[in-house]
Amino acid sequence: MVHQQQLRFSTDGRGTYNISQQISDVIKKSGVKTGICQIFIQHTSASLILCENADPTVRTDLDAFMKRLVPDGDNLFKHTDEGPDDMSAHVRTVLTESSLSIPVHDGKESLGIWQGIYLWEHRTSSFKRNLSITIIGE
Amino acid sequence: MLYQNTLQLAEHSQGAYEITELIEKIIKTSKIHTGTCHLFIHNSSSAILISDTADDSTKDMTADFMAQLAPSSIDSNENINSAMDAVPPAMKHARSQNELTIPITNGKPGIGVWQGIFLWEYKSAPIERKLTVTIMGEARHRSFRLSH
Repeated sequence: MVHQQQLRFSTDGRGTYNISQQISDVIKKSGVKTGICQIFIQHTSASLILCENADPTVRTDLDAFMKRLVPDGDNLFKHTDEGPDDMSAHVRTVLTESSLSIPVHDGKESLGIWQGIYLWEHRTSSFKRNLSITIIGE
Repeated sequence: MLYQNTLQLAEHSQGAYEITELIEKIIKTSKIHTGTCHLFIHNSSSAILISDTADDSTKDMTADFMAQLAPSSIDSNENINSAMDAVPPAMKHARSQNELTIPITNGKPGIGVWQGIFLWEYKSAPIERKLTVTIMGEARHRSFRLSH
């Protein structure tokens, strides 16, 4: 059994956005009880992560760490047509994930109790981000 | 429905090579309309990555960044080849993706307009690479759109 659908999210600048509920809704709708849920982001300047969901400081710290690791406007970067956050967003994407596969068990996403699924917007302005969700199982 | 194909990729020297068209052909051969396509590279000195296709410098800059992140005695990041040389193998492995899963929508890779699938070859000497493509899904259409 295969269920596929697209989700579209509006982001409001750099940061992490919890999409666990929306993914959970898609799994529920698919009717799949046991299988795999594959999430794919169709962009190269935003990405996906599994992250701690209890303390939001974890995610602001992650962003602060990433800011130090991949500085905007680094002299190394020549691909800067869309501003200082353009190339750094591409590098941040490569360092994180474009694709996540999570188990589906008993018709639900089988995540750890403190795990959440997040869309990580790496650009500093607002964007529309498309995700393709494919659930395969029975 | 399941389809699997293991193939040898042509020899490439260091650099990033787009393989989107090849993957498109394999998906077409599988006849799967909706599902997922898993790509797996059978070695630890090359990688499969999604990168921007709009501007060639994006992948070069990414390689340069990787070189800077894990500097070695070779101080050169003028282009992707020298940059990849400069990244110590441990770092390449740590942040490489040996495998990638993409959705299949309407019998094609369900990737973004500016996304391409690339083989990143790390070895200087041209070498053949084994790639296994596993496609799971079904032939009929089950795709629809929802907004949030």
